[in-house]
Amino acid sequence: MNSRATEEYLEALYKLSEAGPVRQARLAEHLGLSQAATAEMVKKLILAKLAKRDKTGSIGLTKSGTKAALETVRKHRLSERFLTDILGLPWEKAHEEACKLEHVLSPEVEDGLDRLLNNPKSCPHGYPIPDKEGVITTLPTRPLSDLGPDEKAVIALVSEDDPEMLKYLATLGLMPDVEIVVEEIGPFRGPLLIQVGAARYALGRDLASKIMVRESA
Amino acid sequence: MSLSCCGAIDKIKGETDFTFALAGNPNVGKSTLFNHLTGMGVMTANYPGKTVELNIAVTNFEGHRIGIIDLPGTYAIGGVSEDQWVARQAVIDGDPDVVIVMVDATNLVRNLYIVLQFLDLGFPLVLALNLIDQAEKKGLTTDTDRLAISLGVPVVPTVATRGQGLDTLMATAIEVARDRGKQPAHATRYDEDIEQLIRELGAGIKTADNGFPHNLSSRALSILLLEKDDEFINAAGETAEGRSLVAQAGRLSAQIEAMHGKPSPVSLARERYGLAGVITQEVQTLSRREVPLSEKLWRSTTAPFSGLVILGGVLTGLFAFLFFVGSWLSNQFTYIWSLTASPVIDSVIRFVAGTGVVAHILNWGFDAGILATLGIGIPYVLTFYFLLALLEDTGYLNSVAFLTDRIMHKFGLHGRAIILMIAGAGCSVPAIIGTRVLTTERERVVASTLITLVPCSARTAVIIGALAFVGGWQPAAAIFAIVLLLIVAVGMALNKLLPNQPGGLVMEMFPFRLPSLLSMSKKTWFRFKHFITAAMPIVFVGSIVLGAVYETGYIWKLSAPMAPLVEGWLGLPAVAGLTLLFAVLRKELALQLLVTLAVVKYGPEGRNLLHFMTANQLFVYALVTTIYIPCVATIAILARELSWKKAVSISAFTVGLAILVGGIATRLLAVF
Repeated sequence: MNSRATEEYLEALYKLSEAGPVRQARLAEHLGLSQAATAEMVKKLILAKLAKRDKTGSIGLTKSGTKAALETVRKHRLSERFLTDILGLPWEKAHEEACKLEHVLSPEVEDGLDRLLNNPKSCPHGYPIPDKEGVITTLPTRPLSDLGPDEKAVIALVSEDDPEMLKYLATLGLMPDVEIVVEEIGPFRGPLLIQVGAARYALGRDLASKIMVRESA
Repeated sequence: MSLSCCGAIDKIKGETDFTFALAGNPNVGKSTLFNHLTGMGVMTANYPGKTVELNIAVTNFEGHRIGIIDLPGTYAIGGVSEDQWVARQAVIDGDPDVVIVMVDATNLVRNLYIVLQFLDLGFPLVLALNLIDQAEKKGLTTDTDRLAISLGVPVVPTVATRGQGLDTLMATAIEVARDRGKQPAHATRYDEDIEQLIRELGAGIKTADNGFPHNLSSRALSILLLEKDDEFINAAGETAEGRSLVAQAGRLSAQIEAMHGKPSPVSLARERYGLAGVITQEVQTLSRREVPLSEKLWRSTTAPFSGLVILGGVLTGLFAFLFFVGSWLSNQFTYIWSLTASPVIDSVIRFVAGTGVVAHILNWGFDAGILATLGIGIPYVLTFYFLLALLEDTGYLNSVAFLTDRIMHKFGLHGRAIILMIAGAGCSVPAIIGTRVLTTERERVVASTLITLVPCSARTAVIIGALAFVGGWQPAAAIFAIVLLLIVAVGMALNKLLPNQPGGLVMEMFPFRLPSLLSMSKKTWFRFKHFITAAMPIVFVGSIVLGAVYETGYIWKLSAPMAPLVEGWLGLPAVAGLTLLFAVLRKELALQLLVTLAVVKYGPEGRNLLHFMTANQLFVYALVTTIYIPCVATIAILARELSWKKAVSISAFTVGLAILVGGIATRLLAVF
């Protein structure tokens, strides 16, 4: 069993890496810790073969790191379910409490919660709960640029390379969980004409390839 | 003349009863409202280093003097892009009594976003619910009373293009301005967990000594810090209180991220959208869903096949209009000028300066120089601006951009640039001013360079005129083909060489709208005024200098230093080289002067250029004239729109290119 701090780091890395490779500064910011402390811990994780760095210096999880992270995620999300569904805590409070509980749950208690809650598939915020083997059932995603005219989809995530662009897209309503319709493709594999709510935008192909979408419900 | 924003805002605040700021998304009819409210006396102001301008004007309404600050049309306010920065900075600096936010009733959700941002900043608002006629056509009815209650601000329905509701809007805004300070603090709006964090951070903002603007509430500052607004975070770094606030905001942002699974700026954006969606659902009902005819027509302009056919038609029409109607108007104007203005100027100069060399030089400036500006300005620039305003205001420009984006991408440009390139075939000057519609400096540099290479109508006149002596259409066609190839090559090379990547295209598309003639005319006039004030002085001075060189006979001394280049490399007679110097003033002067100088040098038979130039030489001459240095009006506009450094670089580049291509052509033609 990993230390509490290790679990926190792995969990954070897991969440952040859903949106692409993770920079160390981003990890520090997410955890609210200093760059130096983060660097130190990342070094330890790499030594323990739980994390790795790619050529660009971005941090990712190894196979065993992912497994460990998913265990914590599972405990966190099960605890949240328990706190909201059984104890009736408001969900913002549930998150804080679950942050503490996730580190102390033994496998027996974890199984007990799973049974008590009827094997829930998602946390109160709608995120999936991984099963015991660490398998997470998520809908497959593909880049928006792969869609053709008249196809509908829901934005799954917007790649975070450029935070300013991310902010800008969000002000236009282009953000995760929003449904979009591709109305037209520009000639010569040109830009996409998409509809979001009552608004229509022309989106360049390079930009559209950074927006991942999933089937709409 | 452009003023600094702070200066301009202080000036109007000093002389008016109230100050209103106009805000809203692009294309909601904000400029129509501004034009309706104000007369001709509009000042433009900009912040140092920013190209986005503010329009500021003073107007009278029912005995009140009101200063109006027209903010750039944006989807949001903040630090992301220049226009968003200017919009926010201007309300912070201007501290208006009321912010009138104009929103599009057909797209309420997205338009409410900026409204919620202004509410977050804590400014008194009045909402102008515009395009209600269009919304009704779509079957959307809006309960304005409920909207007013939901937002806690007055809502006035308007149809700006018809002036409907605008008086009520002003009256309401004045009422709000009078009550300023009596406004109740608005209720919490976002999810309770986020509101709690906003309050927690806000409680720590105690003193005024935290590096932030003084007219923002603690709630506004908390939200800005939680949104990780770079500018406010940097400002906070100046003081101890600010630094501890930023540290606390960082921790709370991490909490938001952990709870909502998205970085806090995105989480807050989502909150605003969520709220905007809830409010819209409460106040709007859709009775029927029927696609209006204008929308069906519009869709055919973006569909690949019909869209390209329509685009071909429109571009041909634009080209033909500028080429034929423009040159016809130009000829008429020159004719009328020579009958009316010329004799008057001539006699005034004779009265003042006699008939000597000085008088002749003055004639170059006052007669030829002013004619050069107006002769381009009125027929080409004015008509083009009007056509551009029409394309913009109907919304067709966006369809064009959508269709041609892929092709223009090869040059690192967006689709919008194609209209400017076509416009350049009429006259480079308005086309270069038009590059303002492009978003980045990089695009403006590429587009401006390519536009200077597009043969304008004056250069086309030289090509056709000079090659008429040779006969047949093929030589002229060959020159156009060479220039087109050069444009493609230069465009692709610039895209490779310039730093950075072309930015991603995100552009709002909206179905056709009926434009307002008043708004289009005012837009045309403002742009035209810019052209005249920028180009006239430079063309005037340039004319005087060239006139002096010509009238003093100094021109003939210039042929010796130019000989190696003109005679040796390009294989042209020296006299042809001299005309190239003068054509900088106005490109079609090249041919007129060539004939004039030829007659001086070779006698009357010089009138036929083939007497002293071969067919090959005429071809090279036309080619070089087309490519080398843009005319002085174009250089002036390049300097104004980009910088003097870039204007000189682009000009030098075209000269080098012309010499290179001309020399190669001479040698190739000698072989065949």
